[in-house]
Amino acid sequence: MASKIVSLKVNGKIEELVVSALMTLQDVLRDTLDYTSVKEGCRQGGCGSCSVIVDGELRLSCLTPIQEVDGSEVTTLEGLNQSNSITALQNQFVEKYAAQCGFCTPGMMVAIKALLDSNPNPDREEIVEALAGNICRCTGYLPIIEAVESVVAEMSGASGE
Amino acid sequence: MAEYLQPGSVEEAAGMIASHGSSLAIVAGGTSAMRYSAPQAEQVMGVRGLGMNKIERSSGGLSLGAGVTMSQIRESLPIPALQDAARGVGGPAVQNMATIGGNIFARQPYGDVAVVLLALDATVTFSTANGERSQKLVEFYDAGAQADGLLTRIDCAAPGGELVYLKCGRRRFNSPTVVAVAACIGIDNGKVGNACIAFGGAGKHPMRCVAAEQALIGKALGDASIKAAAQQAAGACSPGTDSVATEWYRRRMIATYLTRALQQIAAG
Repeated sequence: MASKIVSLKVNGKIEELVVSALMTLQDVLRDTLDYTSVKEGCRQGGCGSCSVIVDGELRLSCLTPIQEVDGSEVTTLEGLNQSNSITALQNQFVEKYAAQCGFCTPGMMVAIKALLDSNPNPDREEIVEALAGNICRCTGYLPIIEAVESVVAEMSGASGE
Repeated sequence: MAEYLQPGSVEEAAGMIASHGSSLAIVAGGTSAMRYSAPQAEQVMGVRGLGMNKIERSSGGLSLGAGVTMSQIRESLPIPALQDAARGVGGPAVQNMATIGGNIFARQPYGDVAVVLLALDATVTFSTANGERSQKLVEFYDAGAQADGLLTRIDCAAPGGELVYLKCGRRRFNSPTVVAVAACIGIDNGKVGNACIAFGGAGKHPMRCVAAEQALIGKALGDASIKAAAQQAAGACSPGTDSVATEWYRRRMIATYLTRALQQIAAG
């Protein structure tokens, strides 16, 4: 069995790891590096709970072979802690009851962050489409969409709640 | 446990395919292969590093590297039908990963982009241990979708008429396909001069429907010819039943969506 050394920059920190053939980025982030915000939902690319940002792009860590991201920069929800937009988003998630069981929340937040990075002023339709890959079984989505709308309104200087 | 191979060039990849044969799974974006083929394979070959993600335009036509992603198609291609098909593949994360080459091999009911490529009568090029080999996408599917070497490139000429793509799904976004239809119709002196019609969700792989095309060619594009084409299409297809839709429902939606696509073209 062939092992290999890969290096990654995860949330700003350089990591060197010995990996085996079909390990995924999710295996490494969650099990090796303990970034437990990276949830394992379906492991089929269907639920979005493992969403992370790789080199500025939203990706599903469960379907990403670890060897394909050798040398990449990876951001998980833990790495977004210092960002103001995430603090605002967390507050709005609380305000609007956008998290119930919480399992989808990290993936949702990462997907929302990727949306706002590329489009700081999305309309409702764009928010819905941007979250189309993230499944939530509790909220019925409306509170999540409203939380994003409130953050967008706050960030663009209009009166948020 | 599998071995993960990372070829440094297309030639090296073609050599690996020739030496490992069917025990090898090829992973590009991973959205399909990491679910279905890679977990069972003895060797997995990652081709993301080969840089096959260029889009080239030449005299109205397009040459697309097999590694071009759904997001690249949405952002960079001026063909609305291809953009719509790419937009219908998964959510944004999947679109950042999934490639056009992978879409051609995706099991049904996936493979929406391939449906549009069929209607554009695209040509696929494989790199083999004995050099390059090109064939029409329709011939590739008719021969059972067996790859010979590494798919490197998809070429298509400018649409030979009005091109419309419609998809029937259970949800507006991120929905697997019930059926997808792409129709490219050229009108000559008030009559249909050329027709290229393709379906997804209509059989084992995306299929071109010559019977529906024949029902249109030489006729005016109107209620009678559209009805005849839809009947031919429903009869010629052989859709499957899965968790998305039944064979019964798909057959009816094939007729319905082809009718809508052709009416849209007729209305200009």
